[in-house]
Amino acid sequence: MLNPITKILSPCFNPIRVLIPLFNGKVAAGFPSPADDYVEKSLDLNELLVQKPAATFFVRAQGESMLGAGIHPNDILVVDRSIEPVPGKIVICALNGELTVKRLERQNEQWHLKAENPAYADIVIHEELDMVIWGVVTNVIHAV
Amino acid sequence: MQALIALVDCNNFYVSCERVFRPDLMRKPVAVLSNNDGCIVARSQEVKDLGVKMGVPVFQIKEIINRHNIQLLSSNYTLYADMSARVMSTLEEFAPSLEIYSIDEAFLNLTGVCPKDPIAYGQRIRKAVQRATGIPVCVGMGPTKTLAKLANFAAKKIKKTGGVLNLSDPMRREKLMRLVPVGEVWGIGSRTTAKLNQLGIYTVWDLATQPSQRMQAQFNVTVARTVLELNGTACMDLEEITPDKQQIVCSRSFSRRITEYPELSQAMAEFCSRAAEKLRKQHSVTGCITIFIRTSPFNPKEPQYQRAASIKLAAATQDTRVIIGTANRLLEAIFRQGYNYQKCGVQLSHIQPQSLTRQRDVFDFSDHDLRIENGALMTTIDQINRRFPKALSIAATGFDKTWKAKADRVSPCYTTNWRELVCAHC
Repeated sequence: MLNPITKILSPCFNPIRVLIPLFNGKVAAGFPSPADDYVEKSLDLNELLVQKPAATFFVRAQGESMLGAGIHPNDILVVDRSIEPVPGKIVICALNGELTVKRLERQNEQWHLKAENPAYADIVIHEELDMVIWGVVTNVIHAV
Repeated sequence: MQALIALVDCNNFYVSCERVFRPDLMRKPVAVLSNNDGCIVARSQEVKDLGVKMGVPVFQIKEIINRHNIQLLSSNYTLYADMSARVMSTLEEFAPSLEIYSIDEAFLNLTGVCPKDPIAYGQRIRKAVQRATGIPVCVGMGPTKTLAKLANFAAKKIKKTGGVLNLSDPMRREKLMRLVPVGEVWGIGSRTTAKLNQLGIYTVWDLATQPSQRMQAQFNVTVARTVLELNGTACMDLEEITPDKQQIVCSRSFSRRITEYPELSQAMAEFCSRAAEKLRKQHSVTGCITIFIRTSPFNPKEPQYQRAASIKLAAATQDTRVIIGTANRLLEAIFRQGYNYQKCGVQLSHIQPQSLTRQRDVFDFSDHDLRIENGALMTTIDQINRRFPKALSIAATGFDKTWKAKADRVSPCYTTNWRELVCAHC
C-alpha cells in the first residue's frame, strides 16, 4: 500500500541566488566591452608591504624617539623578521625584556642603536646588555 | 637512494609563542594553563627542571609556583594556531613534501634533498624557523618516521647535538637505542610499555632486536611495524593532505555551576556557534547533531546527572541557526531541573563536503523553522567576525557570559587582531 502523502509541496520562498563575478561581462549578444582585454586584478596592499607573510608581523609604535624616521606614536610598523639586520636598517630589538625601535648603526667597530630624535640618547651595544634583534622594519603605516 | 625523513618539533611551543611577544619572559619559568585555567598544559624548560609534570592541576603545585615565581598564562589558541601556520609555511620551503603532524610538529621528506650534509641542512632549518617566527625547534632525522621521532627526542634531550640529530647510521642508532627506555618510542603507549617490560624489553634496543613476527603475534601489527621502522624499513608514508575532520566537538566546563534552563541553553548555543564556524571553515556540512550535559563528577555529594541526545538531520546543514535550533530541541528533551550542571557540549558528525550535491529537504518542512538555510548570511557573518572578532553572534547565545570558563591570564591576540598588536617603544 502506498503511504499517504502527509506533506504538501510549497514553492521555495527564499530562492538561492547565484552571484556572478562582475567582469565576466555580458558577452552573449551585442558588442563585447572594449575594456574586456584590459581587465587586470585589483591592487592588493599586501603585495606592496609584505614580502614574506610567514615572517611578517605588525607592531604598534609608542613614543617619539623615531620621529625623524617618520615613525609617529600609534603608527603600525610592518616588520619582516627574515631580513638581515645590517647597519642602517631600522630594527625592533628586545632590549632588557622590552621591544624597542631604533636604527642599527656601526661606528668605530661598535654597534649602536640610534634614535631619530635629538631629545633621545643613543644606546651603545655592549656585552652585558640583554639585547636580541627581533626584526627589521620595512614600512610604516601612518594615518594622516 | 636512502630515504631521509626529518621531524621538526617546536620546543615548548605554547610558551615559545608567548615569549616571542613577551621578551621579558625569556629565561623565566613560564607555564600555560588548560581551558578554565585548571591544569598545566605547557611548560618552559625552567618549569620542567623544577619537576613540574605535564597536566598537573594548578592547586596541587601552588607552593612551587609561589616559591619560584612561575609565570602562569591562560592558553591563547588563536595565537598558537597563527604561529603554527607561520612555522609550517617556513618549513615548506625546505622539503618537496611535508606532513603537518600536530600544531607544533611536521615530518619533512628530505630524501635526496641534502645528501652531502644533512646535519648542516637541519641547522639551516632551525635557523630559518627561529629567525622568521622566533620559535626554537629541534630536528630529528632518520630513514623512517619512527627513527626521525626518536632522533628528535634525543636532539631535545642531548645538548651537544645542537638541536639536530641524524639516525641514518646504524652504529649511532644502536648507541642511542641502548640508552633510551622503550616507552619513549613513537606509538608505544604506557600499557604496551608495561607489557614489554614484563617480557624483559626495557630499552629501545631491546625492542629493535626482537623479531617483528613475534611482536605481531604477542602484541599487534603496530608494534611489529615499529620494530621494522626502528631498523630502517619504512612502514608509514608521509600523509600530506590532512583529511577534513570527521567530527567537530565543542564543549567546555563552566566557571561556575549552571542550574537554570535558559542559561544552559545559551551556553549550548555558544558552543553550537563555534562548532558551526569550524564546520564552515572546512567547507563541510553536518548530518548529525549530538549534545550532552552533565554535573560535576568531582562533587560526589551533589546529585549526579548526565545525558546525551542525538538527532540525524533530514538535510545536512552548515547554518548556525539550524544547528542551534536543533540543539535546543534536544536540550529540552534531556534537561532536568534540580541539578548543578558543570559542563555541556555539542558534537557534529556525519560530516561531508558542502560541494557534494546535497539531499534537499523537499518533503520535510517541519524539521526546522528556517526552511531554507542562508549560506550567504553565514558567509557574511564569518567574514565580519574574521575582521572584527566576536562582533556578531546569534542572539540565542545571550549577553551574560559569566558562565564562560576562566581565562584570566590570556595574552593578547598579537597577530590576528588589529586592536591587540604588540607594542614597541620608540
